[in-house]
Amino acid sequence: MGTALNLVLILLLLATAVLAVTARDLLAAVIIFSVYSLIMALMWQRLQAPDLALTEAAVGAGVTTVLFVITIFKTRRREEE
Amino acid sequence: MKRVASLLFIVALAVLLLYVVAGMPPMGDPDNPTATHVIPRYLERAEEETHTVNVITGIILNYRGYDTMGEVTVIFCALAAVLAVLGRERRGVIHGFVDRSEVPSSTIVKTMVRFMVPFIILFSVYTILHGETSPGGGFQGGAVIGGSMIIFTTIFGLYESSRRIPLKVRASLEGAAVMGFFLVGALGLVGGGNFLTYAWPRVSRSLHPSLVVWLTVLVEVGIGLGGAMVLTSILFAMIREEEEIAPSS
Repeated sequence: MGTALNLVLILLLLATAVLAVTARDLLAAVIIFSVYSLIMALMWQRLQAPDLALTEAAVGAGVTTVLFVITIFKTRRREEE
Repeated sequence: MKRVASLLFIVALAVLLLYVVAGMPPMGDPDNPTATHVIPRYLERAEEETHTVNVITGIILNYRGYDTMGEVTVIFCALAAVLAVLGRERRGVIHGFVDRSEVPSSTIVKTMVRFMVPFIILFSVYTILHGETSPGGGFQGGAVIGGSMIIFTTIFGLYESSRRIPLKVRASLEGAAVMGFFLVGALGLVGGGNFLTYAWPRVSRSLHPSLVVWLTVLVEVGIGLGGAMVLTSILFAMIREEEEIAPSS
């Protein structure tokens, strides 16, 4: 049970990491990146590091996402070729 | 050609790194050199020496005081550099910001945010003050306060939130937090120990245990408040529009 959950988390983590890099829409990339942080927080919790899980959830999924979104609104949303 | 060369380079690097990883001691093995000397010492003595139940806080805020000092210095220097690039608002001036969204926030959203933010702040206060017994501590709690201010600012606008935390409050709290951290840390040096190690034998004999815990909590409060205020300042500096100085409504 625990191992299966770990496997699912790892696969989701890899998928979100690849998607966040390859996404053309920067806003989508930021949202995917915050999902990545959320999965990472769950993994810290699985690795018995609740301190890091709290930090990852507050800073990674919360604060940096908003700062990235503000930056996108100040620049452009689409990546140009 | 270039692609093939870079692919070969990456594959060679990966093989090298995996070879090194294979030679490392197995993860979680109790016979690892790291698990035989340092960790048992911390686990056995941390509670009596630092008076903190949470050993991680004891390690970060006592045994590895210089490590934490370096981290805090790096973090606050980075945040100060960001603020120096973005610039502060002028003292006493309350900025507005241009709401670009087509749909203004509804009453339901505003009421919910007004209802939730105090509880988020309460949770972060709990996290900071119980840093020595439960997971989390100053940095985590400070980030949660910053997050609550971000929620408030995105819904109510820069004018409302910078009216609640004006520059005067933020600037003095940021400075006081960093100064407080270094002053409390220097108490350990005065007591004959290392930085932040005010709980070590020569000092703790003359200090009451609850006072040691309170010093730890004081350090946590310093880091938390400083981090929260700096995060809020960065948000304000990023969201601010130069041309829009007066409140929009």
